[in-house]
Amino acid sequence: MPQARDTVEASRPLAAQIADARIDAPASFLIMRGVVKRFGTAAALNGVNLTVGAGEIHALLGENGAGKSTLMHILAGLLTPDAGEICLNASLVRVRSPLVARRIGIAMVHQHFTLVPAFTVEENLALNIPASGIINRLRYTPDRIAADALCHAEMLGWTLPAKSRVADLPVGTQQRVEIVKALATEARLLIFDEPTAVLSAEEITELFAVLRRLRDEGKTVILIAHKLAEILAVADRVTVLRRGVVVGTCDVADTNAEKLAVWMVGPDVPTVESASAIVASSAAKAGKSSSTPESAAVSNGDRTIDSLPNKTSAAKAMLTARDISVRGDRGEQSLRGLSLSVKPGEIFGIGGVDGNGQTELAEALAGLRHLESGSLTWAGEVFRPSINPSTGYIPQDRRRAGMAITMSIEDNLLFEAVHDHQYRFGPFLKRRELTKLANDLIQQFDIRTADARLPASSLSGGNQQKIVVARALHSEPEWIVAVNPTRGLDIGATRFVHRQLHMARARGAAIVLISTDRDELAALADRTAILSNGTLSSAQSGFGDATQFGLLLGGVNTKDSQRAENSDPGVSA
Amino acid sequence: MSETEPPSIIPEVEVGIAADEAAIYPSNEISCENADAKNNFAGSSSLSSVNGNPASAALPSIGLRLFRWLMQACGYAIGFVILLTVTFLLLGVPPANALTELWKGAFGDAESGHLYAISETLVKMTPLLLAGLGVVVAWRAGLFSIGGEGQLLMGALAATGTARICHSFPAPLITIAMIISGTAAGALWGWIAGWLRVRRNVQEVISTILLNYAALYLVGAMVGGPLQEATHTSQQSSPLPDAVLFARLLPRALSNGMQTRLHVGVLIALIAVPIVSLFLFRTRSGFGLRLLGQNGEAARVARFPVDKLRLRAMLISGGLCGLAGVVELLGISTRLDANFSPGWGYTAIPVALLGGLNPVGTLVSAFLFGALTAGCGNLSRFSGVSAVLINVIQAAAVLAVVGGRAWRTRRSSEEAD
Repeated sequence: MPQARDTVEASRPLAAQIADARIDAPASFLIMRGVVKRFGTAAALNGVNLTVGAGEIHALLGENGAGKSTLMHILAGLLTPDAGEICLNASLVRVRSPLVARRIGIAMVHQHFTLVPAFTVEENLALNIPASGIINRLRYTPDRIAADALCHAEMLGWTLPAKSRVADLPVGTQQRVEIVKALATEARLLIFDEPTAVLSAEEITELFAVLRRLRDEGKTVILIAHKLAEILAVADRVTVLRRGVVVGTCDVADTNAEKLAVWMVGPDVPTVESASAIVASSAAKAGKSSSTPESAAVSNGDRTIDSLPNKTSAAKAMLTARDISVRGDRGEQSLRGLSLSVKPGEIFGIGGVDGNGQTELAEALAGLRHLESGSLTWAGEVFRPSINPSTGYIPQDRRRAGMAITMSIEDNLLFEAVHDHQYRFGPFLKRRELTKLANDLIQQFDIRTADARLPASSLSGGNQQKIVVARALHSEPEWIVAVNPTRGLDIGATRFVHRQLHMARARGAAIVLISTDRDELAALADRTAILSNGTLSSAQSGFGDATQFGLLLGGVNTKDSQRAENSDPGVSA
Repeated sequence: MSETEPPSIIPEVEVGIAADEAAIYPSNEISCENADAKNNFAGSSSLSSVNGNPASAALPSIGLRLFRWLMQACGYAIGFVILLTVTFLLLGVPPANALTELWKGAFGDAESGHLYAISETLVKMTPLLLAGLGVVVAWRAGLFSIGGEGQLLMGALAATGTARICHSFPAPLITIAMIISGTAAGALWGWIAGWLRVRRNVQEVISTILLNYAALYLVGAMVGGPLQEATHTSQQSSPLPDAVLFARLLPRALSNGMQTRLHVGVLIALIAVPIVSLFLFRTRSGFGLRLLGQNGEAARVARFPVDKLRLRAMLISGGLCGLAGVVELLGISTRLDANFSPGWGYTAIPVALLGGLNPVGTLVSAFLFGALTAGCGNLSRFSGVSAVLINVIQAAAVLAVVGGRAWRTRRSSEEAD
């Protein structure tokens, strides 16, 4: 949006634009126009327009990576947009920092709390309130400073334990502190980033009551959410985002879960190349990967998996998970009695929204996390990952668990290989052969670098991800666990990774693909299930339609709900 | 295998460490890896032209890198001399004279010959080098061990005890037993901190410092008690018999009739450099250890036994520091007293950091520190400047390099902008 970028500086035409917007929506309190935000080459937001009326609860709906949080972080001054403008209460604002946001009355309640665990509640509240006058600055009296904020809490019917350490409080109470912290800034616009993710059903009901109350007091509330039922329950209006653009905005009263589900995930599938094209091209090239343009665009209708030499249906399940329960890093129950089985030559897709146990499930299946109960077996025998079966693991977060960016590209490619007896002589590494392997992988996986000895941080995100993929797949493991293997990759790199997974499948590997990207699951998975709140929905072969998927993602049980017709006026908007 | 870490006892410290880690590592690891690659270059030829489409700048040729490195070294040297000059001016000592004396002490002059001075430099280098290598191993594994001093003292203490117990053995056997027991005692002292970290999540920074005190007072108690010399006059052990001590390497004739103190221990320290290098860069453990230091979560996911590696790192680190103590005991001091170490275990940390946490780099920086120590000894003898000055000068050396590095980082990031 170069035009939008230009008008940010020029004030004259802008006034006209604001006037336009005001005509569009007379009561609009906040207008965001043409907002663009790029991370590297990927556009997280691609010209987003958002209009929020005064005194309404406005929900922002979308899948992971749709750009909801990015948009709100721009509004809260945490990110600077590449283009676009923000009008608040009919005046143009530039939210350069969270401080500016606070001054103009915008406050955000973050998904990941911004509290200091070691501080008491009142100390946390005091942190956010600027002291006035020199004496008050020198004399630190958190109880006095926080008194006002605690009054806000009283008005909402909450009694916060002012002297307790935040770390000792339950999550629900922590969130109350977070909310009170935002209210104490006298904000007129409150942003809630997925506030229900960590709350129990009762707490959610209570939170919604509070949201309504805030609205009735004249505050404007923006609610980031992906649960359809919640939006229908509490929001007045809803805007749906998909892949960084607005799909549509409507009154909640005029819509229903099915419609929103389709808006959210889109009726059409995929920009991702489909199975037959991949297998055909990879077979033709006999394993050699190059980036020739794909010609075959096979429609979603004919499931090409059936046309493959089908070992799947006849073969017995290789990996079997029975009633596995696993705890997360903070001791919370992440998986609750989950069962699944994967056959050789099958990609078992697991969809769902982040934070429903994805990481824990992946680590359990890769043998990296202790099972609290339940069992894992491989072909009826004891499951000993990397020994029986040989295992490839593509972790969710490459920066955190997938690589050491300060080490060389070569070293990063060798995390797994150094365990291999082929590359060792007793405790010593056969460095020459390892170097050769690394350079082979660089060529084979098309990692764009000038030198393997450069630190991995010199690579782009896509090339870093190729390292992780190369490491997991090059030894042709029998068992592959891949979590969001293409997150943050451009189309070329995504295709490449998908092709690799398909080749692994073609040679008979059992694959679990955990992904928040519906298109990816649609393109790759033979069977799909949705992971929600630590349990798995029953697996369907192939892939359900968009509505069903969207409803599942939104936490609505599809069996009871009716199918909506796919005609949808909002999508073209 | 899941790593269930109980909540940290001292979260604030953890935050501090993480910050340190970020501050120390990014530049270091890169320079270390480059240096390593440089060492291995002969084995892996024609790497630069592997990929046809360079997305990032290639590594320059080895000649160019060597040249740049030399330029850098010159830059540091000039900065260091300027800092020294300012220091001397502040102290009211004529800088020209002082610098000459410093140089003479470290490297000698035409008049008195170079060999003796250089041998002194090497002797002063030895404990710093061994302890510095110990620091390299622990810090590479992401364990910020400050425990070199305690491990070194425990090494010397155990060796002294062994000598007392085995006094009836043949001399070479006693020497070997001392080396082994001293190294083992240092390793044990390191292992305690490692165990506390792995099993109880006690931050090694805290535990190693506390263990240093434990070792220091244990030595004090022992040399005033069971290990005290036969005459019971001073709080020190009896001198070791000459036959047990390390042999002198150079005959008198070579250095103007002055017996150099260059002993076998210097060779041991020098040999330790390629061994530690081999361990870090050519073994699986070393690989896992480096990975652990750079990203512990990635090491866990890549199925490295992270707890075992942490313990191993602390064992090796402690062993090297313990060896430093034994070598000093057998080579120079010949007896143990409460002031056995002038803080080698602590000085080893800047030595290792200046060396970029790389064994070869540590050799260079330990040599530099050895030269400074020897030079300052000479300076205080002939110009009446206090020997404490050495601490000031060493600090100046660290500042020169750290400052230089910061400046380079800033410049390169500006270039990137």
